[in-house]
Amino acid sequence: MSKIEEIQSAVETGKKKIVIGLVEEALADGLNPVDILNQGMIEAMGNIGEKFKTGEVFVPEMLVAARAMKAGVEILKPHLAGEQHTSIGKFIIGTVEGDLHDIGKNLVAMMVEGSGFTVIDLGVDVSPEKLIETIKENPDCRVVGLSALLTTTMPSLNRAVAAITEAGLKTQVKIMVGGAPITQEFADNIGADGYAADAASAATLAKEMIAA
Amino acid sequence: MIIIGEKINGSIPSMGKAIQEKNESYIVECARKQTEAGATYIDVCASVPEEIEVETLKWLIDLVQNVTDVPICVDSPSPHSIVAALPFCKNVGLVNSVSMEGDKIDIIFPVIADTKWECIALLCDAKGIPTTVERRLEVFDDLMLKVEEYKIDPSRLHIDPLVETLSTNGSSLTTFAECTREIKKRSPTIHVTSGLSNISFGLPVRKLINQAFMVLALGAGMDSAIIDPTNRDLLGLIYATKALLEQDEFCLEYIGAFREGLIGPKAG
Repeated sequence: MSKIEEIQSAVETGKKKIVIGLVEEALADGLNPVDILNQGMIEAMGNIGEKFKTGEVFVPEMLVAARAMKAGVEILKPHLAGEQHTSIGKFIIGTVEGDLHDIGKNLVAMMVEGSGFTVIDLGVDVSPEKLIETIKENPDCRVVGLSALLTTTMPSLNRAVAAITEAGLKTQVKIMVGGAPITQEFADNIGADGYAADAASAATLAKEMIAA
Repeated sequence: MIIIGEKINGSIPSMGKAIQEKNESYIVECARKQTEAGATYIDVCASVPEEIEVETLKWLIDLVQNVTDVPICVDSPSPHSIVAALPFCKNVGLVNSVSMEGDKIDIIFPVIADTKWECIALLCDAKGIPTTVERRLEVFDDLMLKVEEYKIDPSRLHIDPLVETLSTNGSSLTTFAECTREIKKRSPTIHVTSGLSNISFGLPVRKLINQAFMVLALGAGMDSAIIDPTNRDLLGLIYATKALLEQDEFCLEYIGAFREGLIGPKAG
């Protein structure tokens, strides 16, 4: 097994300390830090995401894998030349105004970060104004993820998408939505660009959105 | 033990479909089965957009009341929908729910203050679910000030200390149990309840986590739960645990539940 494959396997199984050791070894061996990141870690998180979708791995395993990757990235950071290598893009995320439920949102943030994005997490109960302000402050951000968990906060999701559209920011960002009561049909009706049913699908969708 | 039958809830996919398709026989059957299984209340949650929520609740409540006298637990995230739906109920029931979030309490408490309606209260506020036991108990104390203000007897309240998902928060049960013990100490006649299935999200064989939670929560003093009473395994565990906790003299309720065929292997 190559060093990079070893890193990949250690990230997938969530072995944080081993990942740190392996990344240090890989750097000492003169391996390219960008390859370590992309092939060793981001690919590992992609694999975890696929296995999560098929029910082979469970939420806590996703958490420990993300934690292991984070620890590896910390070792890698000083060796990466500038932001462009560490990030494939920015992703703004939050739950909509009036909604305080963030377990799903946090899982999405984690998986999107694991797939190589820089995540700007605005937390819970995020107003349309705050969203618009953050999108404007980050002109290089191209994806926004919004969630609503209750039937009572679904209209708030509608308002957030409408506000971003009215502010003329849909030329800059694509919006994906999710949450327990949300469906593809609802996403289409409110003018969102995409819907994801779980954290792993959200990460895949985010990558598709910046590729499009 | 107070059992709030959870099955008539539109956020459960099969029930959501039945509500959307106006499948009356499916809903009636759910009400009947939960009654037979000994539900103390039957929860009714439409989980539809707010514009059609009240009419949907009325339709559901009418259906349930056609086949059972078990009181309704009126369940909605909107306090306005709850208040509008209370008059549809023939018997005094349970409100699900208030919390210290927004103006929920000030909308619902004045309406139920001088009645015999009971009420579930969640220990969260405008900032969400407090992470520590201390903060959650602060929310409880704030809540009790409101309870006093509206002169509601604590025995009419079902406090839900809230369970977080174990897969993302390892101290979910221990926090719940500590809150429960402390709440019972501060207000012995108050009920403690839980909609427990949250706890097992993201884990395999969820029912095992749910069952273990039930036993530990009952041990901590929980005496009300929002569950599927037709789940014989879970119901059996409740009866067995109550007997072990000296809350079932001579195990007569446990034996009675067995004799009625509610728990244990299905006859025939």
